[in-house]
Amino acid sequence: MGTERPEGTNRAGESPEAGALPTEAGSDTSVTEEGSELERSIGLVGGVSIGVGTMIGAGIFVFPGLAAGEAGPAAAASFAIGAVIALLVALPASELATAMPKSGGGYYYISRALGSLPGAVVGISIWLGLVFATAFYLVSFGSYAAALLAEAGIPIGGLPVVDTLALGFGLLLTALNLFGTENAAKLQNYVVGLLLTILVIFLGYGGLDALGVFGTTSTPETFMPFGLMSVFSTAALVFTSYLGFAQVATVAGDIKDPGRNLPLAMVGSVLIVAVLYVATIFVATSAFGSGRLSGFGETAIVEVARAFGGDVGALAILLGGLLATVSSANASILSTSRAVFAVSKDALLPQFASRVNLQYGTPHVALSMAGGPVLVLVGLGEVELLAEVASFLHLVMYGLICVALLAMRRDEPEWYDPEFRVPAYRLVAGVGALASFGLIAFMERESQVIGAAIMLAAAGWYKYYADDVQLRGVL
Amino acid sequence: MSENEPTPAEIMAEASFAIREPPKVLVPVEVLEGESVSASLVEFLAPAEVVLLGYHVLPEQTPTEQASMQFEDRARTAIDDIAAAFREEGREVETRVAFTHDRDATVDRVAAETDATAVLLPNPVGAVEDVVVPIRGAIDVDRLADLVATLLAGREGSVTLWGIDTGGEFDAAAAVERARETLAERGLATDRVRTEITETDSAVRAVVDRSGEFDVIVMGEGGPGLLSSLFGDPAERVAEGAVAPVLVVRD
Repeated sequence: MGTERPEGTNRAGESPEAGALPTEAGSDTSVTEEGSELERSIGLVGGVSIGVGTMIGAGIFVFPGLAAGEAGPAAAASFAIGAVIALLVALPASELATAMPKSGGGYYYISRALGSLPGAVVGISIWLGLVFATAFYLVSFGSYAAALLAEAGIPIGGLPVVDTLALGFGLLLTALNLFGTENAAKLQNYVVGLLLTILVIFLGYGGLDALGVFGTTSTPETFMPFGLMSVFSTAALVFTSYLGFAQVATVAGDIKDPGRNLPLAMVGSVLIVAVLYVATIFVATSAFGSGRLSGFGETAIVEVARAFGGDVGALAILLGGLLATVSSANASILSTSRAVFAVSKDALLPQFASRVNLQYGTPHVALSMAGGPVLVLVGLGEVELLAEVASFLHLVMYGLICVALLAMRRDEPEWYDPEFRVPAYRLVAGVGALASFGLIAFMERESQVIGAAIMLAAAGWYKYYADDVQLRGVL
Repeated sequence: MSENEPTPAEIMAEASFAIREPPKVLVPVEVLEGESVSASLVEFLAPAEVVLLGYHVLPEQTPTEQASMQFEDRARTAIDDIAAAFREEGREVETRVAFTHDRDATVDRVAAETDATAVLLPNPVGAVEDVVVPIRGAIDVDRLADLVATLLAGREGSVTLWGIDTGGEFDAAAAVERARETLAERGLATDRVRTEITETDSAVRAVVDRSGEFDVIVMGEGGPGLLSSLFGDPAERVAEGAVAPVLVVRD
């Protein structure tokens, strides 16, 4: 992109590596500076499956109980608000991704459009944001695994079984990724396919039931028992359910025909999960009423399934919950590793972090930087806090992606030639940025403090370690 | 190459050989896994145009760009070493290096981009004398004849056209006859071409079982089918089981 050679180095004396440039539009390769070809191997289905697979764990299998407790049936509106914000960000992210189809996603666009300080802050805090998200998915997985044990009648006594299972699985996923899992992506496609099947059957039956087709009476309830504010603060909480569409952009370098597939995968996966989330809340609150639903906690949806389908229904949804949370956790570990790579390639973190192990061919340092901190956070076990901090850090990035689009469009560099252009971009990106930052205001104080502290620490690290680094291709 | 042997260019210029178009062989090598191309195979392939593809397969969790940053120089050095061996045989070769998650997709793409006549599936081989061409389905006879005639032109050795009849509608005897005629048209001496026909249930197993009798196997892709999608292409299954390298003539 930029032709000038970067001169600045970080404290270890490293300067940014040249990136691979994509060949003409619609092609299946990128080419490095030395002329080696990089095969793009993820198609549209793979891209959607990354997006849906990352997102679907939380919205359906964790939040219905929590959200209904805070906003009543209006939690469905909270999920809809989340979807609108996610779409407002997904469109600008799609345009930037088609203009710069490179691994790194949001970090890359922000660092190129807004400079290396915002880039470094976003790059480092999105690494940690993904770590928080992964921990959140793993703790949720633990809840489902514990519920399954209870269902099977295995006594768990007073053991901290949720945390133990979450830790164990966190270790297992990290190890699997370290030592190479062939066809992991294909497996992910099947898992997502199976999940969608279970959910469509469940929601289809539940939806018909809620509308009174099967003759059972559902209790009518005040739509917004806790007021309008609760709808927005719940939207802030459940926004974690939409962290994932931008993960598609972190694999942009591996996606075939990025000009077409990236926007379709990002916007498509948001639409798919949004419909499922809103339907889930509708069905769940119709079945039980939000008060009882809230009492069931994180595995509330299992009780809903039991009400419709007896023990078989409960078991199917438990299985779905296990699959969904594992798939979300795994996709997030992979995204974390890619986020670390993108930042360390630009010498904002030590370049040691992007080493690849020749024997296994895996980025062992970056994967450890994903899996290690996750295990620490899993030990904390605070689901809502983990979810909100993850959302905080992602929302900052989403807001800045919108700002990056405004900056790019105002001052379009010669190489800027996106295949997809956002219509009415000022409006979309402007509202997207305001909504992203605005949602942060509705979070718990504790989450805001932790999120802000992480960003400050990231800025401090940049000033200390990489102040002189000049990135290639910055506006 | 000793003094009295003709160079590939001289062979091509000889009037008795009427090659329709010079064949191009794609040689994929998994360079960072220490794969190479043996000296005898280099010598055998040298009359054709050669495209050397050094590739490295990565697990899906590793971005190809990340691996290329670290391994690109090593891969380029390794592929240049192999290219040097071809250049010593008097042949210019095109080299390419690719990082991929999917070996077959990369090989197919490069084969299509370079319009290769055939793709090599490497296996160890000694001096090449006897080439076998198992014919068990539709095959591009023109491409096959260009390839075989070019490779055998400047050397000793025979080619066995082996029709394999698996009991379907495919007329193996007619296909073998057509291939024999086309080879003769290309100028390959008829006494160097043998033909035979076998009836069998499994073409792949028959070829693998007899692969020890020959030095190089030349066969067609075989196209898609139920068996192919379950077990891989017939040619790939032959290459896995056989003791000889396989040249797959592209459709």
